[in-house]
Amino acid sequence: MDHRPQWLVPGRVISRRQLILGGTSAAAMAAFLAACGSDDGGAGSGTTAGGADTTAGGGATTAAGGADTTAAAAGSPQSGGTLRVGVVGSTNDIVDGQFIVAKADQARLIAGWEPLVSYDADFNVVYENALAEEIETTAADLYVIRLKEGIVFHNGKPVTADDVIYSFQRRLDPDLGLAPALIPLLDASGLTKVDDRTVQVQLKQPAVTFINGLAEYIATVVPVGYTREDPVQIGTGPFQLESFTAGAESVHKKNPNYWDTGKPYLDEVQIIDFADPASLVNALSSGDVDAIVDVPFAQASTISADSNLVLLESEAGSWLPITMAVDQAPFTDPKVRQAMRLIVDREQMVERVLSGHGRVANDMYGVFDACYPDDFPQRTQDIEQAKQLLADAGQEGLEIDLFAPDDTAGLPELAAAFADQAKEAGVTVNVKVLDGGTYWGDEYTKRTFATSFWGTRPYLNQVGAGSLKESTYPETHWPPEGSNFEALYFEALAETDDAARCEIIRQMQQQEYDEGGNIIAVFNSLLDAHKAEVQGLVAEPNVLNLDHFGRGFKNIWLQT
Amino acid sequence: MGLLKFVLWRVAFGILTLFVVSVVVFALTQALPSDPARAILGRDATPASLAAKRVELGFDKPAVEQYTDWLGGLLTGDPGRSFVNGEPIMDFLGDRIKNSLFLMVVAAVVSIPLSIVVGSYAALRRDKTFDSSTSVVTLVLASMPDFVIGALLIVLFATNVAHVVPATVRIRPGSAPWSDLKGIILPVAVLTLAVVPYVARVMRASMIEVLESDYVEMARLKGVPERTVLWRHAMPNAIGPTLQVIALNVAYLAGGVIVVESLFNYTGIGLALRDAVREVNLPVVQFLAMFIAAIYVVTNLLADVGTILVTPRLRTRLT
Repeated sequence: MDHRPQWLVPGRVISRRQLILGGTSAAAMAAFLAACGSDDGGAGSGTTAGGADTTAGGGATTAAGGADTTAAAAGSPQSGGTLRVGVVGSTNDIVDGQFIVAKADQARLIAGWEPLVSYDADFNVVYENALAEEIETTAADLYVIRLKEGIVFHNGKPVTADDVIYSFQRRLDPDLGLAPALIPLLDASGLTKVDDRTVQVQLKQPAVTFINGLAEYIATVVPVGYTREDPVQIGTGPFQLESFTAGAESVHKKNPNYWDTGKPYLDEVQIIDFADPASLVNALSSGDVDAIVDVPFAQASTISADSNLVLLESEAGSWLPITMAVDQAPFTDPKVRQAMRLIVDREQMVERVLSGHGRVANDMYGVFDACYPDDFPQRTQDIEQAKQLLADAGQEGLEIDLFAPDDTAGLPELAAAFADQAKEAGVTVNVKVLDGGTYWGDEYTKRTFATSFWGTRPYLNQVGAGSLKESTYPETHWPPEGSNFEALYFEALAETDDAARCEIIRQMQQQEYDEGGNIIAVFNSLLDAHKAEVQGLVAEPNVLNLDHFGRGFKNIWLQT
Repeated sequence: MGLLKFVLWRVAFGILTLFVVSVVVFALTQALPSDPARAILGRDATPASLAAKRVELGFDKPAVEQYTDWLGGLLTGDPGRSFVNGEPIMDFLGDRIKNSLFLMVVAAVVSIPLSIVVGSYAALRRDKTFDSSTSVVTLVLASMPDFVIGALLIVLFATNVAHVVPATVRIRPGSAPWSDLKGIILPVAVLTLAVVPYVARVMRASMIEVLESDYVEMARLKGVPERTVLWRHAMPNAIGPTLQVIALNVAYLAGGVIVVESLFNYTGIGLALRDAVREVNLPVVQFLAMFIAAIYVVTNLLADVGTILVTPRLRTRLT
């Protein structure tokens, strides 16, 4: 489908803060491990990720894992039972170990397949909940991946270097189109099997964002020869797909060979499609399901009022921009862009658009990136200055169309709120709400003034996805002519020293903060809900809903 | 024999109606602004892959040929394949059609007798408490959209006030439509409340007219017991005019399930149609449009024939 939601596009949802750490360089990893109390002494090592298997060995890391904390609070986990999870889905849903087309597909993928590395709650790249034991950064363009020992697929076959190579090859296949962003970085010829558990990856260009890419939930390991059409779907995840009917439900059975000892607790997970968010909430309230994904912001209060239900709100780096094409009038003039940003009453946006389930943003994205410049002054509404800037630009009494899609909650509301606020500055904004198919169709990324949404990702990965001329979704047509922004981007990609890279990122953020095409008023939270007896889910910063779907539902147990 | 001729003529007319509907449905789906090839391949489609996809879907052929191919498929029981997953439409929709038909039939079986009883009783108790109160209640119900009634019932019986029935229906793939009887209580209630006001009011008016007629008065004067007067003389004549309204309401159920299925997450044709429109899944949209049209044609046909059969005047005129 054409609708562009970020979860549609593999690789669009990543995270944030790890950037520095995770990002990328070995030094970063080492720093993370050190921070976690690992005694591995990685801090200075620089060339390896430290070698600690955080799942098995990093005591501090494991203890910090959400599931364990909750479990401790609520008693020890009980095994058995069936969890019914409601998602908004349709007949367009698919199951593929490395791809999704709609958000409902996320839950099904996470249950059955796992990536090589993952993000923790601080958005560091870690080895927990993932298949690699270590990823060594030899250079910004050379990586060595070693698998954990003893991991087997659902059918009992051990996971080997061949499977890792096949998994990369499948994602690189241009006909499948699973990971378009990876293709410029990597050729199949850059993949070498070192031994049964080890693969060397030679990139075509330096890119410290490579490891972040591996931590994307969609960058999973599938067995050699895997296809979407396989009647028996094989992965390494805590649950194996047993049946799937698009637009209705899927059933997932406990993986008896699962590598993470003691998990999963549940015998079965059922993921049930709902056509409508309202019926999803009703189903939870009446007890037809045990947990739901994506509570409409406006309905959160009805859930929290019910003592049998728990609202799970996770802070996220997701953001809802209003996009100005910097090469189209009237936005060619930076003063006009500046004026638009000063028109916004951000607190009101959080209330009006998100019903309070989010926080104020400062026209910059990548908020969980370790290099995010927190010290830039928070921009606030200043109608007088906005009027002055518009007058200076000769744009008094500006009238302009602002487009929004009807299939993405929040965007029509965002556009309407902006239109109201713009009136104070004498700007007439005509909101045009289009059906999703039309909105994300041929005209998407060509419009002068529009709305969009993105998930959580590190700054550089986000720049690659949306803020370069050759990005997949160049919504703002950034950077402007004559800017050195793109040069800085490539410089940062090749920079393995965290501090130095942060300095470059700071310059890039400064450019976007001063003159960029995004009006970023709010970061929206991830909002889910479950019955009180569903245990093991933690409200912590996350990339995916429902505490990363309880990492494939393995952390979840039912209190009887 | 006149009756048979009438039925045949009426069937022929129904077929003609469906033929006209097929032209309109096909023309309308052709006129949709979205491009199915793009919808299937997504944003990253190349011009070459789009062109290849259009050929695969048969869009390169002249419209008339596409139409005759489609119509031929419909007539031979092969309505094509879903654009979304390439599955034959009947594989994909078979269970959903069964589910929706089941919901419609249960709703009809509950609502039609109920409306006849309510309407007749109101006529008998004309201007008494029962009559005036049902008059107010049916007027209120008739003026409320289905989804409002549905939302109210959910709040009252499933989520907020009481938890006596589920708020959603779950018929699992491969299960019989009646596998979640508890779940269909509310959907059937909504459809019933949508149908009863109309039919009951017409039945009441029709019954009053009949009760005031000479032949009912005659029967009463003859000393025929009131019960026989009602069942033998009044009811058959009052039902005739009401049958047309019943037919319209049963046909309405075919469309009404779209709202109800969406509200209760009932896996039937209503939700399938909604998804198909969103995904520009033309074969499914076309098939379901024809299916719903066919339900309209068949129920109207049955009503026409039924009216003839129960109305002595009309029955005799045919011979």
